[in-house]
Amino acid sequence: MIDPNGWVTLDELTPGGDGVVRGLDGAAGIVRRLMDLGLVPGTVVRHVRCAPLGDPLEILVRGTHLSIRRSEAGKVHVEPL
Amino acid sequence: MSNHSEVASPDVRVIHPLPGTSDEARRQQVAILGNPNSGKSTLFNRLTGLRQKVGNYSGVTVEKKVGQCTLPSGRRVDLLDLPGTYSLHPGSPDEMIVRDVLFGLNPETPSPDLIVFVVDATQLDRHLFLAMQLIEVGRPVVLALNMCDAAEAEGIHIDEMALEQSLGVPVVSISAAKGVGIGTLRRLMDRDVEPSNARFRQRQPAVERVLQSVSARLPRRNLLSDSGRLDLAFALMLDDGEDDALARYAPLDVQDDLRILRARLDDILPQWRTDDATSIYEAIEGVMTHAVSRTGVSRADQRRDRIDRILTHRVWGPMFFVVLMGAIFQSVFEWAAPAMDLIDRGISSLGEFVGSHMPPGPLESLIVDGIIAGVGATIIFVPQIAVLFLLMSIMEATGYMARAAFIMDRIMGRVGLSGRAFIPLLSSFACAIPGIMAARTIDNRRDRITTIMIAPFMSCSARLPVYALLIGAFVPKTRIGILTLPGITLFSMYFLGIAAAILVAWALKRTALRGGRPLYVMELPPYRMPSWRSVLITVRDRCLLFLRKAGTVILAVSIVLWFLASHPGLGAEGVRFEKRIETAERAGNETRAAALRSEMAGAKLRNSFAGRSGRLLEPLIEPLGFDWKIGISLITSFAAREVMVSTMATVFNLDDSGEGFLSLREKLREAKDPKTGEAAYTPLTAVSLMVFFVLACQCMSTVAIVRRETNTWRWPIAMILMMNSLAWIASFAVFQGGRLLGLG
Repeated sequence: MIDPNGWVTLDELTPGGDGVVRGLDGAAGIVRRLMDLGLVPGTVVRHVRCAPLGDPLEILVRGTHLSIRRSEAGKVHVEPL
Repeated sequence: MSNHSEVASPDVRVIHPLPGTSDEARRQQVAILGNPNSGKSTLFNRLTGLRQKVGNYSGVTVEKKVGQCTLPSGRRVDLLDLPGTYSLHPGSPDEMIVRDVLFGLNPETPSPDLIVFVVDATQLDRHLFLAMQLIEVGRPVVLALNMCDAAEAEGIHIDEMALEQSLGVPVVSISAAKGVGIGTLRRLMDRDVEPSNARFRQRQPAVERVLQSVSARLPRRNLLSDSGRLDLAFALMLDDGEDDALARYAPLDVQDDLRILRARLDDILPQWRTDDATSIYEAIEGVMTHAVSRTGVSRADQRRDRIDRILTHRVWGPMFFVVLMGAIFQSVFEWAAPAMDLIDRGISSLGEFVGSHMPPGPLESLIVDGIIAGVGATIIFVPQIAVLFLLMSIMEATGYMARAAFIMDRIMGRVGLSGRAFIPLLSSFACAIPGIMAARTIDNRRDRITTIMIAPFMSCSARLPVYALLIGAFVPKTRIGILTLPGITLFSMYFLGIAAAILVAWALKRTALRGGRPLYVMELPPYRMPSWRSVLITVRDRCLLFLRKAGTVILAVSIVLWFLASHPGLGAEGVRFEKRIETAERAGNETRAAALRSEMAGAKLRNSFAGRSGRLLEPLIEPLGFDWKIGISLITSFAAREVMVSTMATVFNLDDSGEGFLSLREKLREAKDPKTGEAAYTPLTAVSLMVFFVLACQCMSTVAIVRRETNTWRWPIAMILMMNSLAWIASFAVFQGGRLLGLG
């Protein structure tokens, strides 16, 4: 699916690439949790690498390295930098 | 800030005197709080040293660590180590405890008089998220910037004064691992700290109005500030009715109205649930610009990246993981061996010494055969437990444990679990009790119960004594490359447990615990040198825990068992035996007399209460290759698996006609089948028995903790039935299959 703004989901960022969080979708509890961890709109986030078996991903947000699954990274919409 | 410490008079210090207690009588409660990986526990250990105890919050099995700390004025305070948490809006039972304690919703743990909030100074901005939530609750807070040395090294300069101004709380730079700034922190804890008035959250007027109206209808708690009450109102608004503490707190009519209010807000402000997170992060950015400056490029990130490139590499990562796990189990056997030999020799000499200085009789028998043999056979395994926990705490403290979970997540995902389940399961290799308790960090109930149900399959340290005994007695020390056959056998037992766990998890996730995968987020902390002090305290705590069990349960079971195995005696038959022995001796036939004595001891044991129950079990376990002696030990090992070893020691000591304190391994090898006269136990019996111990549910404590964790008898009963039938089937397959193949 091609987004008109050129936004992609976090898991679609190339490993090593940065993006700016533009929005989150999904169940309220999950969105709330992701935002608690710093993934609020406007934040720069990096897709650092993925685990040896392809899932989960390592992301860097606000100086913290987090491990999240592809399925959840897919709920974070980012504008690639 | 002043470094003088002053003791204020008690009437000023006590913030909310409890009814019926004098101000002086109530000791101040100080809590340590912070994000996971902030170095909270290292600080706790630093402040309390050896004066701490570990318990549980009632109703849930979240670990409650309380210690004592003497402040510079000489005043003593209770120090509470709250579980690591990311947010005051709980996502797990751990975080719920933190929220309940802070808001005074926990009936047994009063809201602390002072909170020491620990942040990782190298990750200040994200840790400020919880700090700001906490400060708004309106309790007195001291902010400790931990790992200040690491921050300096990375070129992060934090202006403490500016930070104090922005947050309205005292700030102190410390390094808990190196002991830097601890004196200043203690002096601060001694002062009267005022709650901060700072507010960070911007709420939409509509949300603010709703929260005001809800909070006005909530019961008054004198320790909460107005903004703290708004937080509680907000928590109630976010809750979907599953939060018991909130439900108890809010009047029923308020709860009814919440649904309407929620729906109204959803209509006019779809973002209301997450707006406050956004506004806190905006406030954080303001504070960061004001108080923090960076110079130079961080080397720590480059170093971390270089290490992670290898340790989470697609090929080297998993390879390193497997090699490390193999090395850990080999070390548990090799490193502990010298200390174990020493203890073994010490216990043997003690038994001989006591035996030679006491008149033979029931008391001598109780002390040598019951107490010394029973407890001694258990103490000997402390070195192995120490080595295992040493390695595991180092993995945790260096940050590798999180990488292991990162690598394992996909595999755990195959059976429907998260990488988070890996840590509770790995802990279960030491003991299923802390492992099952560690499962509380798993948010999702189905995942948590699945993890709890499979945790006892991980070979715990209580099984190690059993494996060690049987491997030592029956597995030859053949070298295969760099490994030894005993090492390989041990590794196979661990592997079998893992395989069974995967099978059961897979089955549970497709039947009783079906459901989607929950949210999984885990921090990958920076690599750090462990705080050896904290590592050693953990090792000491685990060993003491094991010894306390050895000292109480095992000693009690040993004595009961000694009684069961030596009573009711032989009566008239015993008298006949003694006459025949006497006749043989008079005739000068010593061999005959010795054989009769052995026979008499055997008859006595078979006739004893223990022998009778073991024999009752024999038809059921004979197809597995077990005789009634093993049957006895299977019965007693329900108290704790390691009791099997002391049972065997007791049983064999009584069977022996008193030629001294032979090692149990030799006795097992020498034991003869009374019917055939051949060896009673073969290597095949040993393997079958080990397989049984891998799979069977033989631990009262596990059953009890599962009952408490799941809050129902359904799961522990299901666990007993499932594990024991699996154990019987597998041992049957091993023993009968092995015999068909002509082994043993």
